[in-house]
Amino acid sequence: MTEPEDRPARVRVTAPHSAAGPAGTYPVSREMAEQSDVGELFVRSLIRSQLRLAVVVASGFLVILVGIPILFSIFPAVTTWSVATIPAPWLLLGLGIYPLVIGCAVLYVRSAGRIEQRFRDLVDDQ
Amino acid sequence: MTFPELNPVVGYVSLVMVAVSTVLIGIYGLRISRTTGDFYVASRTVRPWWNASAIGGEYLSAASFLGVAGLILLSGVDALWFPIGYTAGYLMLLLFVAAPLRRSGAYTIPDFAEARLESRNVRRITSLLVIAVGWLYIVPQLHGAALTVRITTGLPSWVGSVAVVVVVCLSVITGGMRSITFVQAFQYWLKLTALAVPIVFILVQLTGTGESITNDGAVFAPELNTTADATLYQNISLVIALLFGTLGLPHVLVRFYTNPDGASARRTTLLVLGLLSMFYLFPTLYGLLGRIHTPDLAVRGAADATVLLLPSRIFDGVGGDILSAFVTAGAFAAFLSTTSGLVVSLAGVVSQDFFRASVSGFRWAAIVSALIPLGFALLTDTLALAGSVSMVFAFTASTICPLLVLGIWWRGLTDAGAIAGMVSGAVLCGGSILIAAGLGMDQAPQWLQLPALWTVPAAFAVTITVSRLTANRRPMNTSRVLARLHTPDAV
Repeated sequence: MTEPEDRPARVRVTAPHSAAGPAGTYPVSREMAEQSDVGELFVRSLIRSQLRLAVVVASGFLVILVGIPILFSIFPAVTTWSVATIPAPWLLLGLGIYPLVIGCAVLYVRSAGRIEQRFRDLVDDQ
Repeated sequence: MTFPELNPVVGYVSLVMVAVSTVLIGIYGLRISRTTGDFYVASRTVRPWWNASAIGGEYLSAASFLGVAGLILLSGVDALWFPIGYTAGYLMLLLFVAAPLRRSGAYTIPDFAEARLESRNVRRITSLLVIAVGWLYIVPQLHGAALTVRITTGLPSWVGSVAVVVVVCLSVITGGMRSITFVQAFQYWLKLTALAVPIVFILVQLTGTGESITNDGAVFAPELNTTADATLYQNISLVIALLFGTLGLPHVLVRFYTNPDGASARRTTLLVLGLLSMFYLFPTLYGLLGRIHTPDLAVRGAADATVLLLPSRIFDGVGGDILSAFVTAGAFAAFLSTTSGLVVSLAGVVSQDFFRASVSGFRWAAIVSALIPLGFALLTDTLALAGSVSMVFAFTASTICPLLVLGIWWRGLTDAGAIAGMVSGAVLCGGSILIAAGLGMDQAPQWLQLPALWTVPAAFAVTITVSRLTANRRPMNTSRVLARLHTPDAV
């Protein structure tokens, strides 16, 4: 315990309450407009995530699509299955593909929107 | 070739009604088209629903409306790959092109190419390719119109092609893109109704007779096919052409510029996929029923007329006449909407490169863009509609698709790479198709007839290799342009 008079007077430290933003931080939107390295980095990672998403959805779809004729040519027996007199190839190609196409599209639109939202949040946070 | 079951009066009435309503909607559009922006891209204010209907209306061409059913009549289950490719092409468009292209802020594909690569030469070559693709795509539409008019009214073939060109020129030069958007949106629903109403009546009638609609599955029998079964190579190459050709079609892309922003471009594409999936059920049903009720068309070389003749084969008298009027009107709407969409997008390109980019330049360019393919159409013979359209898709996939996809996603693209890729794609794909046509479609090997499976990868490979070798030519503004293409609109 030291004597009370030795102790320096307590000083309250506060930031000034002014309309100006805090000095020292820099919004990402401005970084991007000025083409700084930071903005460039954010955009590159945005493009990379969007491309990865597009390639994943496209390859998933293509594998299923190309898989159907390959399946038929490897296992010709499948082509003789039928539902209500409609053979399996007609059902798959005439009806079944379309929900798959729309499903892929919905998945993509949602995920792409989410990636953009994350990017926007990142920009707003700064 | 005459079809006594069709009443010519019905043909005349439905053709005139579609033509008049198209021109009237075009004139209504004129009242609200004021600026150059309205003419080119409807000032980018079209709502997703309107735009999706308009895209559907524009995209569902003669090949979809008549050709798919005709092919199902001829080749059965293999024909189902056509509507799948036409629809899934929009999925690829959505994944790789839709939103970034909208954000690019360009009016046309050559605009995009020039902005991305800062090169007038890339622009010129892209313009030439876009114009070639557009013309090649208009020709089958005019052939379809010739076939429809000949079969439904008995008039000579050229009347159909000329009528389509006249109506398209009238509606395009009066209203530009704004009025075309209304016309196209109207025509999607017209085409859907034109197929849906008769097929419902036909199905009800057939069910009423107590027989199985599918003849206990006999309708699916491959023995009814008049063509050889497609090989795995043919199916896959066709699907590649259709999937990657769609995202380079000029009349499809120009529609994306009319969305307000990138996110709405995506929503629009999603709606389009729904509209197309719904539509293609109907030509499939017509083709299937045609296998029992109009098998003579395959032998007479008029398979593409299946949709037009099916209603009159099932219903006699006035009922048959009314339902035939529906399908005839729908078919005519299909040629009109696709042709006018193509003419608008071509006019955009031609007027910017060869006329001053003004409203009157746009009108002149539209007339030129419609008359030249008319000449081709009158000089050439009709091929199977879906088949000739698929060649255009293969050509587009080998030329414009690499430019767009690599331009949007790859920093390394250079002007030299883009030019080398487009030229080699055009030479390889165009050359194969011409050689195959020269050899005769029966003698030519499959890899020449359907070259997309190897020409599309080849065009990508050439573009990438040459771009790598000329890396010092990368444009200075690449980072800025890519940031603009991919940054969400609100930021």
